[in-house]
Amino acid sequence: MSPEPTSLLQGTLDLLILKSLIAGEMHGLGVSRRVQQITGGTFVVKPGSLFPALHRMEEEGWISSFWGESENNRRAKYYRLSKAGLKQLELETKRWGRITWAIAQALEAS
Amino acid sequence: MPLLVKTRSFLRNLFLSKRVEADLDQEIHSHLEMLIEEKIRAGMPPREAQRAARIELGGAEQVKEQVRDARTGAFLESLLQDFRFAIRSLRRAPGLTAFVVITLALGIGMTSATFSMVDALIFRPYPVPHPSSVVTLVSTTHDSPFDDFSYREYLDIRDKTKSYDGVVANADMEAVGFSAEPGNVPRVKGGMMVSGNYFHALGVEPHLGRGFREDEDQVPGRDAVVVLGPDFWSHEFAGDPSVLGKTILLNGTKFTVIGVAPNTFPGMLTFGHPDFYMPLAMAHVFSTNLQKDFFEDRDDRELYVKARLKPGTTLEQARHELAVLARNFEREYPNANRSRGAAVYTQFQTRTIEDENWKFGVIFVILALAVLLVACTNVAGLLLSRARSRTREIAVRLALGAGRFRLIRLLLTESMILASLGGMAGIAIGYGVIEWFHSKDSIVFATELPMAVPFRMDTRVLFACVALSAMSALLCGLAPALQSTRVDLVNALKSADVDVLGGKRLWGRNMLVVAQVSMSLMLLTASFLMARGFQHALLDGTGFAKDHLLMSRFDPRLMQYNATQTQQFYHLLAERMRQTLGVRSEALTQNIPFGTDDFDGVAFVPDGFQMPPDRANFNSTMDTVDEGYFETMGIPILRGRAFLPSDTAEAPRVAIVNELFAKHYWPVGDAVGKHIRLDSSSGTSVEIVGVARTIKYQSMQKPMDFVYMPLAQHPVARMVLMLRSSGDPLQLVQPVKDVVRLLDPNLPMLQTRAYQDFYLNQTVKGPLIAIELVGTMGVVGLLLAVAGLYGLVAYNVSRRTREIGIRIALGAASSDVLRLVIGKGLVLVGIGTAIGLAMGFAIEQLMNSMLFDAGGVDIVAYIIVVPSLFLVTMLAAYVPARRASRIAPTQALRYE
Repeated sequence: MSPEPTSLLQGTLDLLILKSLIAGEMHGLGVSRRVQQITGGTFVVKPGSLFPALHRMEEEGWISSFWGESENNRRAKYYRLSKAGLKQLELETKRWGRITWAIAQALEAS
Repeated sequence: MPLLVKTRSFLRNLFLSKRVEADLDQEIHSHLEMLIEEKIRAGMPPREAQRAARIELGGAEQVKEQVRDARTGAFLESLLQDFRFAIRSLRRAPGLTAFVVITLALGIGMTSATFSMVDALIFRPYPVPHPSSVVTLVSTTHDSPFDDFSYREYLDIRDKTKSYDGVVANADMEAVGFSAEPGNVPRVKGGMMVSGNYFHALGVEPHLGRGFREDEDQVPGRDAVVVLGPDFWSHEFAGDPSVLGKTILLNGTKFTVIGVAPNTFPGMLTFGHPDFYMPLAMAHVFSTNLQKDFFEDRDDRELYVKARLKPGTTLEQARHELAVLARNFEREYPNANRSRGAAVYTQFQTRTIEDENWKFGVIFVILALAVLLVACTNVAGLLLSRARSRTREIAVRLALGAGRFRLIRLLLTESMILASLGGMAGIAIGYGVIEWFHSKDSIVFATELPMAVPFRMDTRVLFACVALSAMSALLCGLAPALQSTRVDLVNALKSADVDVLGGKRLWGRNMLVVAQVSMSLMLLTASFLMARGFQHALLDGTGFAKDHLLMSRFDPRLMQYNATQTQQFYHLLAERMRQTLGVRSEALTQNIPFGTDDFDGVAFVPDGFQMPPDRANFNSTMDTVDEGYFETMGIPILRGRAFLPSDTAEAPRVAIVNELFAKHYWPVGDAVGKHIRLDSSSGTSVEIVGVARTIKYQSMQKPMDFVYMPLAQHPVARMVLMLRSSGDPLQLVQPVKDVVRLLDPNLPMLQTRAYQDFYLNQTVKGPLIAIELVGTMGVVGLLLAVAGLYGLVAYNVSRRTREIGIRIALGAASSDVLRLVIGKGLVLVGIGTAIGLAMGFAIEQLMNSMLFDAGGVDIVAYIIVVPSLFLVTMLAAYVPARRASRIAPTQALRYE
C-alpha cells in the first residue's frame, strides 16, 4: 500500500477500529465508545462513518461479524478481529509510526 | 484470499441484497435502541434520550445510504437501480416506448442489412487461414486493369517469383456435366479447375481425404482426380465418407474422388460456391478456348492467379518483382505480351476493381444511414418533449440531492435500453431483409451454377448492429439528458412548464426539424433517381426484337463431344429446327444479349492501320453466330451482307462489325471490304463483309464496339439456340426436345425459356430489387420524417399556448397568430429544404458518377417532395395554433 494523502484520515479510522477490537469482540456502539475511551475523548466516531467503515473492513476480510446478545439482552451485531485484521493492524501501526515520525521531523526542521 | 472474500461479498451484495438490507436495517435499529438505553441509564428522561439518540445517529436512512456506498459493487448496484428505474418509467409510457423502438429498429435494421452487403462484397476475409496475406496477381493492358494469365505465364510466375509462399491458379467456375454412375443423364454442376497446390498453398485442410498433390497437375490428362465442395458432398452424397475412392463422371470422363473440402471453405469466389475442383492438367475435359492450346499458347488467358505473400515481404517488393517479370515477358514474347503489364492487388483492391456491385452497396449504406439519422432525430425530439414534461420530476430529484451526473446517467440508461430494444428488433428486421435478398437468388442469378447472394447476418454484422445501437442511444439520448438536467431549480419547482432557457432550447428543437426535412428530402431524391436511372437504362431501347423468341443453351462438352462432333451436332440441330413447323427462323449464338455470361473479346489490328508504338492490338467484344442470327434477332444489316452458308471453314475468313465499330476505325469510307488481322499485324486476315446496326448487349452499359464471327469459321462448344416462333414461343419447347432427343438423348437442354421472360428477369426484375430497397428506405424515411416533423412543430406550438393567449388578450387577431406560428414552421422547412436540396444534389452527382447517368437534376422528385413537406409542416402548425387562437385568453393564461 502506498501512502496516499487522502487515505490518511480513512487509515486513521481503520487503525482505531482495529485497535479497539484487540480488546475482544464488540458491537458498533461498543467500538464507538472504545475509540472514544482509548483516544481520551479526542475522536468521536459518528455512526455515519463508523458503519460504512465496519462494513468495508468486513468485506476486506479484516473483521468478521455475527449476531449476539448485548449486555441488556438485546440482539446486536458483533465484530471480531480476524487473522488478516491482526496483520493489517500491524501494518497500519507501522505506517502510522512512519507518518508521525516524518511529520515530527518536518515540524522540528527549522 | 482477500480476493476470494471480496468476490464473496460482491456476490452476496448482488444476489442476497434483501438479506443484506434487512441485516443492515436491524443493525442500525439495535444501535439506536442501545444509544437510547445508554442515555436513559445516564439519567435522561426517556423522551429526551430518544431525541438525543436520534440526533447522535444522524438519520438512519442516511447512515444506511453511506454504508451502501461503501459496499463492494456499489457502482454496479446503482447501475442496476438505474436500469430498474428506467424499465419502470418506460413501462409507464408503452406507446412512446413502442414507437421509439420501432423507429430505431427500422433505422438499425436497414443499416445492418445494407452493411452486410458491403461487408460481403468487399470486406469479408477469404475463408482461409491468414487471409490478409493472400493477394491477387493480374495481367494488365491499356483496356483492362484486370486481365487473366495464361497457363504458361502462370507457370513462369509460380517458378520465378520469390515473394510468395505458394502461387495458385484457378479458372472460372464453369458448367460441368456430372453423373454419379455411368449411364446416368448428366446434370449441370459448377466445377472449377485449380492448380495442384491450390488447397495446400491456401492452407485449406480437406475435411476428408486429401487435397491435390503437385504431381497431379503436371502431366496433361493423366490424373483424373476431383475434390468435392462441402455443400455438394452433403447434398449429392448425403455426407457419406465412403465417397472417397469412388469414381464419378465429369463431362463423361471418369474422375476419382480423393477429398472433400471443409465446411469452412465454400470457395474463394464472392457469389459462386464450386461443387467440385479439378486439376488444371485435366483442362482438355473442360471448357477452354477451342481456338487456342490451353497448355502451350501464352495468349490463352483463362487463369486467375492468387498468391500468399511470404511473411516479411512487402506488397511493394512483390509488385516490383512482378513488374520486372512482366517486362521480361514483353521482351521474350512480343507477340503475346506486347504492352502488357502486371499488378498485385490486395483483397480490397481485387474486390473493388473486379466487380462494381459494391457501389450499390455503398449507396444503400449511405441511404440507410440517412434513415437511421432521421429515426434518431425523431427519437431525440420525442425524448426531448418527454424530458420537458418531466422537468418537475427532475427538479425534485436535483433538489433532493441527486447528482447531475447520476441523473444524466439515469436518462442515458433509459435511451440505452430503448436503443438496445431497437437494436434487437433491428437485427430481426435486418435478418428479414437479408432473407428477402436470398429469396431473390434465382432472379439475380439466372443460371444452373451454384451461385448465391453472399449477404448474411454473421458476427461482423451483429457487431455493427450493437455499435449502431450504442451510437443511436448517444445520439438521441445525450441532448435531452443534458438539457433536462440543466434547469433552474426555483423556477422549475414553481411551475411545471416554463421555458426557462427558451431561446436555446427552441434552437435545439428547430435544428431537429431542419435535419429531418433535409434528410428525408435527400432520401427521396435518391430513390426517385435510382428508379429513374434504371428506367432510363431500359427505355433506351435495345435495337433488336425480343418477342416470339425461344432460347435454349447447349453444351456438347458435357457429353465429351470432340470439335467435329460438336460442329456436326449444331449443323444438324439448325437444319432440323428450320424444318420444324412453327419456327419462322433459327439462330445459334455463343452468347445472348443481356445474358448471364460475358461476351468474349477479340484482339485485332485493322489492316493498314498505323498502330501506336506502345500497342500491339486493339480489343473488341465479339460473338460467334450462325447465318440465321441477324434475321432471327431482328438486327438489320445496314451495309454489305449477313453470313451465308457459303462462309464455311474452308472459305476465306469473314466477319461482320457493328456500326459503332465501323465508325470507330473507318470514320470516312465504308468498312465493308476492309480487313482486320487477328491478334497482331501478322495474324489471320479477316474480311469485313457487313455492318450491322449497333444494339444494346448489356444493361447499364454504353454501346460498345462489336464483332460477329461465323460459327463455321470460329467453332465454339457452348451455343444458345434461338428460335423465332410464329405463335407462343413456349409451344416450340416440345418440338426442340424431340429434335434433340433424336440427335442425342443424353444431351441436356439448359435455360430453355421464352427470351422475353429471361430478358425481363435480367433487366427489370434485378434492378427492381434495388429500386424496391431504395424505395422502401425513401418511404420509411419520409414517413418517419413526417411523423417527427408533425410532432415537433405541433409540440413547439402547443408550448406557446400561454404566449398566444397573451397576444390575443392584448388584441392580436387569431389570423395574426396563425401567420406567426405557421410562418415560423415554414422558415424551418425552408432551411431544411435548402440543405436537403444541396445534399440531394450531392448524392445525385455521386450516383451518376458511380453507376449511371440518369440525366441532370430530377425535377419531378422535388415537385412532389418539397410541397408535401411544406403541407405537413403547415398542418402541424395549424392545428394546435388554431386551437390556441380559439380558446379564451383567460383560459389560455391559466393553461398548464
